[in-house]
Amino acid sequence: MITHELIERIEGEAILDFKTDKSGIVEEADIRFVHFRGMEAILEGRNALDALVIAPRVCGICGHSHLIAAVRMIESAYIDAGFSLTITPKAHSIREITLKCELIQNHIKWLYLVMLHESGKLLGEEVNVSLKALYVTSQINQLSALFSGQWPHSSYAIPGGVTCDPTHIEVMQALKILSEVEQFVGKEVLGCPLEKFELHLKNDSHRALEGDFSKLLHRFERLNLLNSGKSHGRFLVLGENAGSLDHSERSGADVALVSEDSSHTFTHGGKTHAKNALYNGAFYETGPLARALITERQGIASLYQRYGDCAQTRLSARIDEMVTLIAHVRLLLTSLDLSQPSFIPPSHIESISGSGVGIVEAPRGSLIHRARIERGKIVEYSIITPTQWNLGNGTASNLGVAQRAMIGAESITKASLIFRTFDVCSVCTTH
Amino acid sequence: MNTPSPKISTMPSKPVKLRVIWLQGITCNGNTHSFLNDPSLGSLLECIEFIHHPLLPCSKTLKEVVKKLPKSDILIFEGAYRADFERAEIRMESLLMSLALRTKHIISLGSCASFGGIFKESASEHISGILFDKESESGPLHSLRKKVITLSGCPIHPKWISFVIDMIVQGKKISLDEYRRPKELYGYLVHNGCLRNEYFEWKVDSDHFGTKEGCLYYAQGCQGPFTHGSCNKILWNGVSSKTRSGTPCVGCTEPSFPRTELFTTKTYMSIPAEMPLGVPKRSYLALAGAAKSFHIKRLEGKLIDDNS
Ligand code: SF4
Ligand code: SF4
Repeated sequence: MITHELIERIEGEAILDFKTDKSGIVEEADIRFVHFRGMEAILEGRNALDALVIAPRVCGICGHSHLIAAVRMIESAYIDAGFSLTITPKAHSIREITLKCELIQNHIKWLYLVMLHESGKLLGEEVNVSLKALYVTSQINQLSALFSGQWPHSSYAIPGGVTCDPTHIEVMQALKILSEVEQFVGKEVLGCPLEKFELHLKNDSHRALEGDFSKLLHRFERLNLLNSGKSHGRFLVLGENAGSLDHSERSGADVALVSEDSSHTFTHGGKTHAKNALYNGAFYETGPLARALITERQGIASLYQRYGDCAQTRLSARIDEMVTLIAHVRLLLTSLDLSQPSFIPPSHIESISGSGVGIVEAPRGSLIHRARIERGKIVEYSIITPTQWNLGNGTASNLGVAQRAMIGAESITKASLIFRTFDVCSVCTTH
Repeated sequence: MNTPSPKISTMPSKPVKLRVIWLQGITCNGNTHSFLNDPSLGSLLECIEFIHHPLLPCSKTLKEVVKKLPKSDILIFEGAYRADFERAEIRMESLLMSLALRTKHIISLGSCASFGGIFKESASEHISGILFDKESESGPLHSLRKKVITLSGCPIHPKWISFVIDMIVQGKKISLDEYRRPKELYGYLVHNGCLRNEYFEWKVDSDHFGTKEGCLYYAQGCQGPFTHGSCNKILWNGVSSKTRSGTPCVGCTEPSFPRTELFTTKTYMSIPAEMPLGVPKRSYLALAGAAKSFHIKRLEGKLIDDNS
């Protein structure tokens, strides 16, 4: 039987085409994205700095990652054009703080608005707005805005540094907010102090904790999904700490091996707007699980060894990443040296002709911005988003990452829930 | 259009909640996420209920909305309009019109919905706002213009939308400007309340980005003096704004958004080409000449000289 399932409560919408056997088991799953917004064309012809305003509008939930990718791309074009450029450690840290805050708020929204909501619905439980989760995400975004001016859609990172010039007032406020976030995550999400969580993962005792995350795991258990959702076991990180992992084989990662495949898109007679992103010609998973395994974070590494790349491991990786990021933001805030300049003016953008690439580890995985700049103007712009990796749509002999994870699911509703463990974003995918 | 309004509710202890549908056109979801930043979302949700919202729990899925086309008190539209853009496989021209006819108030949320915004740039002839196409009132809802309240901005501030909803809930009249934006929000300029006002007055420009000092109007492209919006009155995320964090205002609440060369001031004979709103060039020049002839030492130095 063929069923078309409209997937909502993601950023935008997606359609899954399922083929099931008589008992309802999923045999094939095609992923389609039907919207298209033409972001790259909007950027072409503009002053390169305008990308700092336009690019964040690719996505309302990870726009800041697009800003950082755009600014890194322009900075790399400066280098390519033979100009030097200095970013002070202070400016660098501030960018890191705001970027990490975006990841943290994303992971909390994904846990509460998407995963707890959808799993609850599937089990027939009553679902309410999680005001506590929304309050804490508004606080994290406030922390970010202390430096970036606003969230969403700030343009405060510019080639040469950042536009803000914070005082200790902002830093102290930020630390206070962070303490509140830590309390929330410890008490509500994990059910244990943040620094104990990794040990629980290592000891496989995380399911016995009493927090909203273990509540989610219990629901997956009741749905018999905890250990489903296995995919290729190939992982990729192209941003910070780049590397790739094919089962147990580790190697580096080189952005030159990235390619895009558009043979399934509308322009070529297909049914989707999303292009597939491939590494070395194959589908790789990117995002929190890939980052955890490539940087060898112990809790997730041992979970992976025990259970493989199943739903439980993938869900835990996102939560564990959030815990790690919070500690990282604290470190950055406490070591910020405000006496350094925020910005060191580089040569005028009109003097730049060159190619640039900016890579960011965004909430859902590796994000790449590439462009060619001619005397300060954008001649060509191309974006590869994280979801193009994870939600690529392959063929029966070469399945995409989420596609493969859905096959064999007991029903299409269960397959759809597996799909969501990848943290779906339609607006990014079809920029 | 006879859904009960809270004013005629017979149970004052449990007022009828206004029924809201949140529909998206071509969007980045930025307004949705900005809306979720409202720390008092909980009390807003005491007065309204979402029949549909793209992320929050609601009574109907998008699929059910396009099938049943329910009545509502407020229709919120986020994103740019294109007739053949589809939601749940229904073309926007029929979906938007059907829902608009069955509601009492329409909020055009964000600059894409209001004027076309960023997404209009990709196919300008096909994409517009729901009431305006840039400055011209030629969008698909022009016959229902009286229902429309424009909340432009990219994205909107969550307090702007909760203000409008509260006013509707209380049955108060909202006075609107030429683009049907609430005057109480858009009567201000972004320039009003900016911490750099004194530098503007005395024509002290910011040497470069990344400093607390100086005004961004003269070289860095700040559009604050001719952009409507209360960004420096109702602060972003409760704490800041673009200009407070040293970023030039990019004019995101205006129909002209996005302009080009957003980080440089266009000048004409070395004075900014665009004058502060309503200020004749001659008056500006006279004042600027006078201001520049003085050297205010305090404004030429650092605000805090030993920050470490
Ligand atoms: S107006 Fe801005 S924030 Fe709103 S949908 Fe358009 S691009 Fe996104
Ligand atoms: S920076 Fe912009 S908003 Fe602030 S005072 Fe100068 S012109 Fe006005």
